[in-house]
Amino acid sequence: MLTLANIDVVYGGVIQVLRSANLEVREGQMVVLLGANGAGKTTTLKAISGLLHSDHGAVTAGRITLAGQDITHADPADIVKAGMVQVLEGRRVLEHLTVHQNLMVGAHLRSDRAAVKADLEKVYNYFPALPKLLDRTAGYLSGGEMQMVLIGRALMARPRLLILDEPSMGLAPILTQQLFQTISRIKREEGLTVLLVEQNARSAIAQCDYGYIMEGGRIVLHGSRESLEGNQDVQEFYLGMGAANDRTSYREVKHYRRRKRWLG
Amino acid sequence: MINLIQILIEGALVGLVYGLVAISFVVIYRASKIINLAQGEVVVVGAFLLWTFTAGAAAAGYPIPLALGLLLTFAGCVAFGWTVERTIFRPLIGQSAFTIFMAGVALLILLRGLTQLIWGAQSRSMPVILPEGALQLGPFLLNTRLLIGAVFTVVLTIALHAFFTRSRLGLRLAAVAEDHTTAHSLGVSVRQAIAVAWILGTMVATAAAVVLLSGSILSLEVAVIGFKALPVALLGGLESIRGAPLAGLIIGIFEALASAYLDPLTNGAASGLLPYAAMIAVLLIRPYGLFGWRRIERL
Ligand SMILES: Nc1ncnc2c1ncn2[C@@H]1O[C@H](COP(=O)(O)OP(=O)(O)OP(=O)(O)O)[C@@H](O)[C@H]1O
Ligand SMILES: [Mg+2]
Repeated sequence: MLTLANIDVVYGGVIQVLRSANLEVREGQMVVLLGANGAGKTTTLKAISGLLHSDHGAVTAGRITLAGQDITHADPADIVKAGMVQVLEGRRVLEHLTVHQNLMVGAHLRSDRAAVKADLEKVYNYFPALPKLLDRTAGYLSGGEMQMVLIGRALMARPRLLILDEPSMGLAPILTQQLFQTISRIKREEGLTVLLVEQNARSAIAQCDYGYIMEGGRIVLHGSRESLEGNQDVQEFYLGMGAANDRTSYREVKHYRRRKRWLG
Repeated sequence: MINLIQILIEGALVGLVYGLVAISFVVIYRASKIINLAQGEVVVVGAFLLWTFTAGAAAAGYPIPLALGLLLTFAGCVAFGWTVERTIFRPLIGQSAFTIFMAGVALLILLRGLTQLIWGAQSRSMPVILPEGALQLGPFLLNTRLLIGAVFTVVLTIALHAFFTRSRLGLRLAAVAEDHTTAHSLGVSVRQAIAVAWILGTMVATAAAVVLLSGSILSLEVAVIGFKALPVALLGGLESIRGAPLAGLIIGIFEALASAYLDPLTNGAASGLLPYAAMIAVLLIRPYGLFGWRRIERL
């Protein structure tokens, strides 16, 4: 459904952040993109949604296609019309609008009033806490409540592909778990395709169909959930398990470096 | 006592006209984050368009029915607002606030010059569009033209509030008012929203010109209304449609009181100064105004 082929992204005309990134999201899959801080995950997502402009960034090479349509340099409005919505990093609710208005902004491209109303009910069904908050000013909600508004707002656009940038940021572990469960429930019931960026590698991998790992602007590893869960590097460096406890030892580091070179 | 109430009424009615111009500031500011210093000149351009399609056309031997004249006027100011946005402010998107401020100053001088070039410097008498006279209410007199203007301001405020909170286009503009990146991510065309805001703001300014100048004299000096309405917009809060008429009431009433009681003692200076003293006080004490958006600092 979504393909990135050899994408380079440059900020401010000089700083190259993505180097020949390749990524594929198949219809109906939940794909997770992992990586350390500054690896280029957000940059990848912004490139997909056409949002690099406001950061003075641009895709300088490669091709992004959504359902066969070239969207590499498309307008963000056209990308949303084509069925893809991104929930940005950092809880960007429309602060001074109410929760209800936030949700309705999500549906601003749709004129089918009855269907919009039905979707609103669906959103309430996925997030039962929302109906009580409808008249509240979104900027004063708690982090968890904001995240519900953000995902609900994205769903109101009725996307086929939903992109989420670190939805669990700043949430308590229990809330993070609930959030992931809700996301995979929405994915299942709505037949949605999901691309998810996460720091919470363990829970994210557990929910996904396929995963990519990014380092220094490149994809260094990818595979199905099973293969990622079984991969020793992923275990050590993203899941903090097994040999990771001895990671400080010189031998282990050297061992990792060698493998890393091989992976890169 | 009757005298005092009469003063309050007049102040309130005039204040609501300030509120109308303040709404035009607010509509433009919300989407573009630009305080259009030349908004008074925009009112004057709207007024000259109105004159052209009414008295001017009649004087040239092509009388136009009033309704059609008004329609043409508003069509003209749609084109005018769009042109200003497109040629001056759109290319400046992303530039520093200082650059945009200077562009506003340039626009003010430019419009002043262009108006004079096109329509000449002499003053014109505007046709009577709103009924003249006064409404007797017990012992009080209400100027009909201002009364209609005041009612219009209140109705427009309610309508615009509904527009920004309920309609799809209005919600788009509200999203743009909050944050351009978020608006983009939701598929809102920020450029289109800003263009719509300029057009809407220009139309509101022209409506203010109708209320202000019906049956009166149009000259370049009318542009002062822009600088009278600026403190009103700041007091109401630059993002708040509903704040504008309320702040207009406050400033209009205080101005009328100052004019009645302080001007005789100050050679007429007090009422002229008052809005700007209020403006500085607002900026010092509550820079986001009565109902403006205060940054929510909690993330
Ligand atoms: N607007 C910008 N101008 C210049 N460099 C930028 C810009 N935005 C991001 N970068 C750089 O690009 C690199 C990747 O940033 P990006 O935000 O994509 O990382 P990330 O993987 O999302 O990190 P995190 O997990 O911290 O969110 C970083 O080194 C960052 O400094
Ligand atoms: Mg990021």
